Amino acid sequence: MNGQVDQGDLRTPPGKLFRKYLYSIVALAFAALAINTAFDVWFSYREQKQLLAATQREQAASAAIQIGQFIGQIENQVRWFARLPPELSTNEDERLNAIRLLRLSPAIAEITELDAQGHEQVRVSRRVADRIGSKADFSGSPAFRGANESRAYYGPVYFFGDTEPFMTLATRAAGQHANVVVAEVNLRFIWDLVAGIRVGNTGKAYVVDRMGVLIAHPDLWPALQRSDLSAHPDVRAALDGVGPPSGGLVKEDFSGQRVLSTYATVPSLGWLVFVELPLSEAYAPIYASIGRSTFLLIVLLAFAALVSLWLSRRMTVPIQMLSQGARRIGSGDLELRLAIRTGDELEALGDQFNRMAAHLRESYATLERKVIERTSELERARDHALAEHDAAERARGVAVAANETKLRFLAVVSHELRTPLNGVMGVLQLLDDGSLSEIQRRHLATAAASGETLIALVDAILEYARLEASTEALETRDFRLDQLIETAADLMRPQAVGKGLSFDLACDGAVGTTVHGDPVRLNRILLNLIGNAIKFTPSGGISVGAAAERHDDHALIHVTVRDTGIGIAADMHERIFEDFVQADDSIARRFGGTGLGLAIARRLTRLMRGELMVESTPGVGSVFTLLVPLRLGARGVAQGVQPPPSRQLRVLLVDDDPVNCEVGEAILRRLGHQPTIARNGAAAVALAGEQPFDVILMDLHMPDMDGVEAATRIRRLPLQPMPRIIVVTADVSRSTSERLATAGITEVVSKPILISALREAIEDEPGQGAPASLLEAGALIDWHFLDDQRNLLGASQIAKLHHLLNETGEKLIADIEAAAAAGDPKQLARSAHQLGSAASALGLIRLFELCREVELTAPSMSSEACRDAARELATLREASMNALDNMLAPAQEGTATR
Amino acid sequence: MHLAGIIFAKHFMTEGPAPARVMPAVARRDFIRLAGATAAGFLALGATPDRMRIVATLTALSLEDDLTRRSMTEAATTRLGGLIAGLRQRGWVEGVNYRFEIRSSFGGPDKLKTAVQELIDLKPDVILTGSTGETAAVLAATKTIPIVFATSNDPVGNGFVESLAHPGGNVTGFTSSTPEMGGKWLQLIREAVPDIARVGVLFNPATTPGAGRFYLDSLEQEAAASGVRVILAPVGNSAEVDDAISRFSAPPKAAMISLVDSFLVVNRQTIIAAAAKYRVPMIYPFHYFMDAGGLMSYGPTLEVRSADYVDLILRGTKAGDLPVQSPRKYELLINRTVAKTLGLTIPFTLLARADEIRE
Repeated sequence: MNGQVDQGDLRTPPGKLFRKYLYSIVALAFAALAINTAFDVWFSYREQKQLLAATQREQAASAAIQIGQFIGQIENQVRWFARLPPELSTNEDERLNAIRLLRLSPAIAEITELDAQGHEQVRVSRRVADRIGSKADFSGSPAFRGANESRAYYGPVYFFGDTEPFMTLATRAAGQHANVVVAEVNLRFIWDLVAGIRVGNTGKAYVVDRMGVLIAHPDLWPALQRSDLSAHPDVRAALDGVGPPSGGLVKEDFSGQRVLSTYATVPSLGWLVFVELPLSEAYAPIYASIGRSTFLLIVLLAFAALVSLWLSRRMTVPIQMLSQGARRIGSGDLELRLAIRTGDELEALGDQFNRMAAHLRESYATLERKVIERTSELERARDHALAEHDAAERARGVAVAANETKLRFLAVVSHELRTPLNGVMGVLQLLDDGSLSEIQRRHLATAAASGETLIALVDAILEYARLEASTEALETRDFRLDQLIETAADLMRPQAVGKGLSFDLACDGAVGTTVHGDPVRLNRILLNLIGNAIKFTPSGGISVGAAAERHDDHALIHVTVRDTGIGIAADMHERIFEDFVQADDSIARRFGGTGLGLAIARRLTRLMRGELMVESTPGVGSVFTLLVPLRLGARGVAQGVQPPPSRQLRVLLVDDDPVNCEVGEAILRRLGHQPTIARNGAAAVALAGEQPFDVILMDLHMPDMDGVEAATRIRRLPLQPMPRIIVVTADVSRSTSERLATAGITEVVSKPILISALREAIEDEPGQGAPASLLEAGALIDWHFLDDQRNLLGASQIAKLHHLLNETGEKLIADIEAAAAAGDPKQLARSAHQLGSAASALGLIRLFELCREVELTAPSMSSEACRDAARELATLREASMNALDNMLAPAQEGTATR
Repeated sequence: MHLAGIIFAKHFMTEGPAPARVMPAVARRDFIRLAGATAAGFLALGATPDRMRIVATLTALSLEDDLTRRSMTEAATTRLGGLIAGLRQRGWVEGVNYRFEIRSSFGGPDKLKTAVQELIDLKPDVILTGSTGETAAVLAATKTIPIVFATSNDPVGNGFVESLAHPGGNVTGFTSSTPEMGGKWLQLIREAVPDIARVGVLFNPATTPGAGRFYLDSLEQEAAASGVRVILAPVGNSAEVDDAISRFSAPPKAAMISLVDSFLVVNRQTIIAAAAKYRVPMIYPFHYFMDAGGLMSYGPTLEVRSADYVDLILRGTKAGDLPVQSPRKYELLINRTVAKTLGLTIPFTLLARADEIRE
């Protein structure tokens, strides 16, 4: 039809619209045709019926006329005979004319001539002997009388021999004394006539006499049986003179067949000629007509259905195409062009669709172009940003590396300083045995003070390094906040007073509560702040204010330290919290100090999720504000700042170093306890088994058996009571902490031993101050650190680092083993340092600690210890790398951040 | 055309008892020619194809007789020919849907008995009998097989039927001459031979209705009226025929009347030969005698009538419901050659009446 290509694509099963159109058109066509046909058939049926009845009446009338003519002919012949002048017969046999008549008319069985008086003159018969001049008197016969009364007499039908219908016919010649001729007519001769009457193909005509007796029928049998039909209603009605119904009568004939019947009366005889046509034949034309109409109806219906189909298709296909087209345009196929060529509104609609699609197509093209442009711009911006990010990463890497170097340097320096200081301080403390002179004592005090300062400096550096390395953790417990602040104030007040400064402490009432936090660190911050204030205030005073805002389950501590000191320039307000920075280089020269105090204070504050801020005006003074949120404690803690020595304890001091032993023993005695010395692990175990001890101070690093093993062996002894084991070590590394935790040792005193620290450790009840900072036992990797690194660097960078660590680690282990084998401690230390540095990057904390230990101890190691250290490093590296592999493997799959 | 023919024929068949009617009969003949002996014809003819009908006939004639002899062109001039032709007009074709069986009782009572038994054994659908004797014999043998008698002068009197209009039982047929015909025969022969003083009545008492008395009343009445003496000439067998006729050759002048008698029909050659031999004018009741050289005959015309009834019976009509038909037409046949031989002059009145004059 149109749009072959598109149509092929769009052809779908006919939809609702198609069916609707189809049904409507078909119904319309059907209704029109059916009504037309019904009317046609109905009228045709009526007309045909009327026509049929009329035809049949004609036939009946015709038959009646024929029968009338038949009888009329006989009558005429008889009349002719009657009119013959008597003279004609005189010279001949009197019978001759009668014989002629019989010969002429076979239906006449007998003819009799009566004279005017009714006497028989001649009788000629086919059956009996002729009679001439018998003079028999027939004047009383109905035939004679009838013929005299009227010109012709038709007698009733009678049956001869039971079966043969006969009728007497008499006529009288004109004239005064005319003879009467009586003829007996065999009516069976009418049968031939009746049989010859054609009524359709199968119709019949039959004759009934005036009495209703059947006298002629095409079928022999009913006629021969002298059937009396007067009881039949139609015959009765006809005999009574009722005219035949105009449309004919439908009834059953002798054989039970339904027929259309009508009749006509034979003139002068009064007989009835019935004409019957079987309905099957009579209505055959009607049925045929109905059949033709029905056939025509079906043909027309089929044609109408086809036309409807075609019309519906023609109407719905463009609509379907439009619908499909709209759907396809809707789904984004803008290249589609509808080809509707119906030349009407639908085509216009299709064109509108095409225009719309074209507009859309253009719009999309423009849009796409813009998108492409914007995308390329964005890509460039992204590349740029990535490049910048890479640069930043590189810079950060450099910075981190530099920082690490700094930290390492600090750690080494502080460690290297600690060991000799330990000895110096110990000896200085021992020197004061009460026998010194004043000058000596003053010198000693100066030396001790210098040593204390040095230790404090080293501790600060170490602490800062730990904070920087994020290895510092809070040790929290419940404490009284007011007591803490007051103690710190009391501690510092003498300094301020000694310097001629006023010192005020103002505590809010809310401060008097028990909180849960790290009192040691908080104390350190306060001391630092107050110390700084005293240090940088040449005149005026210091005022310390404390307040607490209580919230639901925590309190926000608000401490201000105000001074009237030199102040800090505004541009320095933030820098002073950085490491090794002081407000002015000259300040360092004038006031001394490490420049780490505020850095540590701020880091500790942040560790506590608090904030440390400064407001200052140079020459006027400074206000440091400390804000720390602390959980509210469960109970009030009555904590004495300086608990008095409780009781004398039996203390076993285990150390392989004779100096340390001597120092330790002296301190213990000074503290009023009863020390016993063991110079190695085995001796310690032996002693512990021999005599009871309250406390065992165990050095960690001993040649025969390290402190952990010794402690473990002691624990296995059946001692009652089991002595408390406190480890004394300069090793604050995490690996050591873990080893201790594994062995169940929770109490640690750091070297060099300070009296106060030792006293605190010994006299504290066990179970308090357990180092919460310890990692889970056996943890090889600092997950938190690694997660932070990953968040910072991204997974790909971590993977790269992982790969790098794997490669360099193997190489370094090889170097370490080679160095150990060659007995080169310097090379061993360098390689261990490199390995540790690499390990720290990914948080392989134990490997890092071990490396540092080895690095630090390598120079003093024997060649065998070097080899042991190398093996240990190799084993640990492998274990750590496995752990890292395991951890990163799932992490690389996507989500895991811990 | 063929189909239409079948439909037409079937329709016609279901119509029931149908008379001979001009147009359908012609159509039927046409059709029969067309159908021939094919199976289609079989069906079209309305006969059940699985059963061949049997139409049996019992005749007193010898099977060698011309009247029983079958020829290729069945003429309606004989009763048998008329039946075959009539049945064919009504759709019954011998050998196609019915079988025709003929038995002769010629040769005595034993022969009659055997012939009847043979016919009964055939279990025919209908049996046609020739005359009263055979009818009585068959009727005695069966009360179920329909019987159609061709001629029976007095079926009611013989006890064959209850009445002519409603015969009842299993028999129907056709009456022949009425009793008054005796007088008629005498009048006719007197017209041909006016000067006779006596008339001989030839009959076989065993085969003539009422042993001859059936016609004698009217005959004797007419003889008395015309002054003629009636002399009975009964014969018991063919050998007596010659002698019986010879008695009327001598004066006083005589003529003879041959009554309706199957015996006489069977022996018609002998009778006519004797009549010619002794120059005895004789009137006969059937035209068969004319074919054999008789002088004149007067009697009912042999119309094709038994075929109608056989047809109806074959289609299921009970024989007892079919009325016994009486003759309708009578015909007078005169052989002028024979008359001249006898020295007779046939008068006008007779010639005027004659239906057929043979020279």
